[in-house]
Amino acid sequence: MSTASIAQALNEQRGGFDFELAKRNAALEGAGMKVPRATKTGTTIVGMVYKDGVVLGADTRSTQGPTVADKNCQKIHYIADNIWCCGAGTAADTEFTTALISSKVELHRMATGKQPRLVTALTMLKRLLFRYQGHVGAALILGGVDCNGPALYQVYPHGSTDYLPYVTMGSGSVNAMAIFESEYKDGLTQEEAMKLVHKAVLSGIFNDLGSGSNVDLCVITREGHTLHRGYDQPNPRRFRYPGGFTYTNGTTPTLSSSFTPSRTPAAVVGGAGMEVDA
Amino acid sequence: MSISQYNGSAMIAMTGKGCVGIAADRRLGIRNMTKACDFKKVFQVNDKILVGFSGLATDLQTLEQRLRMRCNMYKLREEREISIEAFGNLVASMQYEKRFGYYFVEPVIAGLKADNSPYLMSSDIIGAQCFKDDFVVAGDTAETLFGMCESVYRPDLGPEELFEVLSQCLLSGVDRDCLAGWGATVYIMTPEGVRETHLKGRMD
Amino acid sequence: MMDLAFLDAPFTPACAGTDEPDGHALDALDAARPAMLGPQRALMPNLSEVQEHLKIVHGTTTLAFKYKSGVVVAVDSRASAGAYIASQNVKKVIEINQFLLGTMAGGAADCQYWQRYLGMRCRLFELNHKERISVAAASKLFQNILCGYRGYGLSIGTMVAGWDHKGPGLYYLDSEGARIEGNLFSVGSGSLFAYGILDSNYKYDMEFADAIELGRRAIYHATHNDAYSGGTVRVYHIDGKGWRRISEDDATVLHYQYNPGKK
Repeated sequence: MSTASIAQALNEQRGGFDFELAKRNAALEGAGMKVPRATKTGTTIVGMVYKDGVVLGADTRSTQGPTVADKNCQKIHYIADNIWCCGAGTAADTEFTTALISSKVELHRMATGKQPRLVTALTMLKRLLFRYQGHVGAALILGGVDCNGPALYQVYPHGSTDYLPYVTMGSGSVNAMAIFESEYKDGLTQEEAMKLVHKAVLSGIFNDLGSGSNVDLCVITREGHTLHRGYDQPNPRRFRYPGGFTYTNGTTPTLSSSFTPSRTPAAVVGGAGMEVDA
Repeated sequence: MSISQYNGSAMIAMTGKGCVGIAADRRLGIRNMTKACDFKKVFQVNDKILVGFSGLATDLQTLEQRLRMRCNMYKLREEREISIEAFGNLVASMQYEKRFGYYFVEPVIAGLKADNSPYLMSSDIIGAQCFKDDFVVAGDTAETLFGMCESVYRPDLGPEELFEVLSQCLLSGVDRDCLAGWGATVYIMTPEGVRETHLKGRMD
Repeated sequence: MMDLAFLDAPFTPACAGTDEPDGHALDALDAARPAMLGPQRALMPNLSEVQEHLKIVHGTTTLAFKYKSGVVVAVDSRASAGAYIASQNVKKVIEINQFLLGTMAGGAADCQYWQRYLGMRCRLFELNHKERISVAAASKLFQNILCGYRGYGLSIGTMVAGWDHKGPGLYYLDSEGARIEGNLFSVGSGSLFAYGILDSNYKYDMEFADAIELGRRAIYHATHNDAYSGGTVRVYHIDGKGWRRISEDDATVLHYQYNPGKK
């Protein structure tokens, strides 16, 4: 292998962001071209600490400009079994940031052999976000239970953090905070906490245009976590044409058609997967 | 002028019962000028994976070629075909790698998992994945396509009916779009193989 | 506080003089001049941005040419707002009277309104003068209107075609104030595609059937190549007996007719 190709191979493995097209895109934008924007999760995400755990809540709408891109996306991301994270802002950034930290936390868990702590994940997150000076647009609510008991943190896109008993983020944060500010009490039971978080998310869903569809909840206690995907579905699709529309075969005029049979028999499944479990 | 409207495109992917499909238009334009009516936007990666790209044509081709290289390398290293789940993540990761200088491309991925159940994913320009069990759309007038799919789609369609639904949704959609159309191609994937059909559409 | 003083300002004609021979301007004729000075300018500083949203029919292909036995006028029928197709059934040939046709390119509302108004002016001319207005005079009336509104944001690119005592007449006019007489014009986003066919096949001495087919084929090619043109290809013919609508064909049907073997 020549030096150049070794350098190239190393470069390929280096990871991190690639700015190859940044100049071109800036030039196009400078020339007056409108550049398409990324999907945002104009969002209501909330979190609350109660007597023996944490409840996280989120709506499920993701938007692209005025269009609802996904009516049921998951905004509560897995970090570790005892740590979960709600994400608001640029969809790809929340998705990839939490996934990256999740795997780093998992590696850390394997290295130390101890249950990961919230501050570990928190520090990793804020370092990453601070490094990118807010250009990675992830606004997060990190919640969970570790050896120090239940805790809840708020992480801003620029990397600053807060430690609070109840937090809200996203475009619907004000609507949700109104509920918390008027009804939050210390030492609520799990049932009461879930009820309040549910109410806060609903407030965002119904009063904020960027939030909508369903309520997802995640309850984390010392014993473990429960993800309630679609905990409440207050906006079901109504007025569907009974039985649906049907097109008889041959409705669409065609010009030509060809069939490529599968190379492998349909039933055979590819080789064994890579071993990834600890 | 938006970059997503520079070349023009329209694309829909849908799931059926033991089958999936992608429908895409065939136009390659430069702003208002139609340059070609046989432009390929949908690619078959292997027996189980179909991928379509909507957006800027130059980025579409670059991303497709790089993806093909990565899939070939995967096959050589692993001595097996890449699964659709892994492929979906590969596409999104390759897009997110260029988070601060992205491809102007919205990929749409449809295919069959190992147990032949349908898989459907779309992604925005920087790799935010969106997994659906009904349909996904992409293109310069995604709204009109959304409208058609929302009313006409039904779950558990067979391959023949899925073809009709996909075709009708796409053709009706592009008939309201200046920058897409000029013929269309529909790919229907079943465990037995892929049927590629060229539709007779409006040519104006 | 927005300055609305311009609303009270006295009416100031943008172009001096009246085209009425007796000097008495009819009330209705006042519309030919702007009622106030640049209302859009005063109310909408971002005029061009607003126009983007308001204007329908920016893309179009229209054409008209004179030949030995008359004038052929052919148009598409698509109306667009951005990439969205607002309509595939627009009438882009405006029938001003039995001997005059106008075509529509630019803003749909601008063309429709002012050509309707032009129709009224032409009728008034007939009543005043007991003879039909010439194509030259009608197009001159229109030009005066357009000059009066120059810089106000109208968007019009039109051809006025007709038949008068001199035979066939054809003028190109636009909202910049131009008025050009000629044998062959094409206007709109697809005009270059139409010119491609027209210029290579046009002959002044061609027969009726060839002339009609040339107009139809030129518009078809424009609908195929231009994203903002499409729908129906309409062909009109004008001669000494007035105008006639010759044909209306779906552009896609024409495509498969013209390319029988093509996929």
